[in-house]
Amino acid sequence: MTDLTFAGIDGVLILSAYAVIMLVIGYFSGRGDKTLHDNMSNYYLAGKNLGFVALFFTLYATQYSGNTIIGYAPTAYRTGFAWLQSITFMTIIIGVYLLFAPRLYVVSKKLNFITPADWITYRFKSKAVTILAVLLMLWGLGNYLLEQLVAIGQAASSLTGGTIPYQVAVIAFVLVMLIYEWLGGMKAVAFTDVMQGLVLMVGIVVFLGGALYLVGGNFTSATEFIANTEPAKLGVPEMMTSVNWLSMILLVGFGAAIYPHAVQRIFAAESERTLKRSFSRMAWMPPITTGLVFVIGILGIALIPNLNEAGSEQLVGLMANEIAGINGFFYWVMIIFFGAIVAAIVSTADSVLLSFSSIVSNDIYSRFINPNAPERKKVMVGKVTGVLAVGVLLWIAWYPPATLYEIFVLKFELLVQVFPAFVLGLYWKRMAAQPVFWGMLAGAVIAGVLTWTGHKTVFGVHGGVIGLAANFLIAVVGSYLVTVEATEEEKEELKKIDLA
Amino acid sequence: MDNKSIKEPIRKKWIWIVLVLIVLGNVPWYMPAGSYEPLILGIPYWAWIIIGFSLLLCGYLSWATLKQWNIVEDAEEAEKRGELND
Repeated sequence: MTDLTFAGIDGVLILSAYAVIMLVIGYFSGRGDKTLHDNMSNYYLAGKNLGFVALFFTLYATQYSGNTIIGYAPTAYRTGFAWLQSITFMTIIIGVYLLFAPRLYVVSKKLNFITPADWITYRFKSKAVTILAVLLMLWGLGNYLLEQLVAIGQAASSLTGGTIPYQVAVIAFVLVMLIYEWLGGMKAVAFTDVMQGLVLMVGIVVFLGGALYLVGGNFTSATEFIANTEPAKLGVPEMMTSVNWLSMILLVGFGAAIYPHAVQRIFAAESERTLKRSFSRMAWMPPITTGLVFVIGILGIALIPNLNEAGSEQLVGLMANEIAGINGFFYWVMIIFFGAIVAAIVSTADSVLLSFSSIVSNDIYSRFINPNAPERKKVMVGKVTGVLAVGVLLWIAWYPPATLYEIFVLKFELLVQVFPAFVLGLYWKRMAAQPVFWGMLAGAVIAGVLTWTGHKTVFGVHGGVIGLAANFLIAVVGSYLVTVEATEEEKEELKKIDLA
Repeated sequence: MDNKSIKEPIRKKWIWIVLVLIVLGNVPWYMPAGSYEPLILGIPYWAWIIIGFSLLLCGYLSWATLKQWNIVEDAEEAEKRGELND
C-alpha cells in the first residue's frame, strides 16, 4: 500500500487509541472470571454462552476482515461489475450454515464439543481421519493468519505515512492482540469484535460517502466514464467468468462455513434462538459490506483511472488520500477509517489464532499427548503454542521463502476438503471412516497440486472445487462399497445425533 | 423428542431447490456476454437483475433461518424461563 500523505502523527494517535480500547476491553472481559483459564470451554468458547450482540458481531468481524476493503475494492476496480459476485459468495455462507449448523449446534451442546475435530472424532472414531482433518485445519488457519499479519503491517504503516515502520506496526498490534486474547480468551475476542465490527461498518459507509462526494454525488457520471473508456467492465461477463463466479460461490460458501473459527461460533452460541437471529442478520450483511466496497471500487475507476495491476492494489490508500483532502472533517474520518481497517484485520486474526490454539490444546495435546493433564495446563499449552505460531508466521512473513511460496497461499482449497466428512457425516449413517480419509486426502492433494503447478483454476473452476468433487465421490462411493457392521453400541451412539 | 414440533431445514427438499434456483439466478450466464445497455441510473441492466437476485438470496436465507429452523429452541427457552422463575 502506498504511503498516505495525510497522516503521520495523527495516525499514530488514532492507532494508539484503538490499541488501548482493545486492551481495556480484553482486560475487563477476563476480569472477575476465575474459572476462565481452568476450563477449555470457558476460555475457547466463552463458556458456550455468547448472547446475540456479541455473537452477531463476532461472526461479522471475523468473516469480514480489513482485507475485505483493501483487497476487494481493487478487484472491483480491475474486473468491473462482474465483482458483484462478492455479494453472492458472502451470502451463500449462511446457506451452507443452514445445511449443518442446526443439527451440529444441538449435538455440540449435548456432547460438549470444543473444536470441529471433536465432532469428526466422535463420528468416525478413526485416528487417521482425525489427524488428517486437524492437519488440514491447522494448515488453513496458519496461512489465513499469515495473510492477516502481513495486512496489519501494511495498513498500519501506510496509515502513519511510514512514521510507524511496517515491522514495528505488526509487532505492536500482534502484541496487543496476544495480550487481550491471553487475558480473556473467546470473551475478549467477541467483545473486541463488537467494537471492531462497528467501526468497520461505519467506516465503509463514510468512505463511500467521501468517494461519492468526489464524483459530484453522481454515480451515473462514473459509469458513463467507464462506458466511454472501458466498456468491458460494464458488460455481461464471458461464459468462462460466469463459470468461475459459480465456482467461487461453491469454494467460499463451503470453505468459509467450515472454517474452524466459524464452526466454533456455532458451539459458543448461548442458545438456538441466539444463533438463528445472528445468522438471520448476517444474511443481510453482504450487500452493505462487500456490496458497498464493490461500489467504492467502481467509483475508483472514474476517480483514479488507468492504474495497472500493482497500482490498483493501492486503490484504497489513493482514494483515502483524495477524500482526506476534501476538508478537515474528512481528514479525521479517513484516519479513523484506516484505524478501523487495522482493527478489522486484528479482529479476524484474533479469532483465527484462538481457534488455532484450541485445536492444539484439544485435538493434539489433550487427545494424543497428555489426555490426563489438568484443563488449566491444556489451556496453557494452547496459549503458548499460539504465541509461538505467531512468531514463526512473522518470520515467514519477513523472510518469504523463494520457492514453495504457493503452499502458504492455500487456505480454502485445503480447508474445504473437511466438508464431506463434516456435513455428510451428520446425516448419513452409512458413511465410513476409510473412504472419508481417502477422499479427504485425494481432495487435498488435487487442490494442492493444481494450485502449486499454477493451475489455480481449470476452465474457470477452482482447484479446490475439483478436489472437493473428487473427495465427495470417493467418500460416497467408498462408503457404499465398504460394508461395516456397526456394533450395537455404535448404533446407540449414532442414535444420539439423530434428532428424529 | 416430539417429531412434529421440530423444524430442520435439511429435511425440507424445497428449501434447497429454491436456494439452487436463486443461486443460478445470481450468476449472469443467461445474458448475452458484453452487453450492458440500457444503463438505468448508471447501472447496467444485467447488474440490476443480479442485484435483485442477490437481495432475494439475502432475504430468503434470512427468512429460512428464522422460520424453518426450530429444533431445541422451545425447550431451551422454556428452561430459561424456568430458571428465572426459580
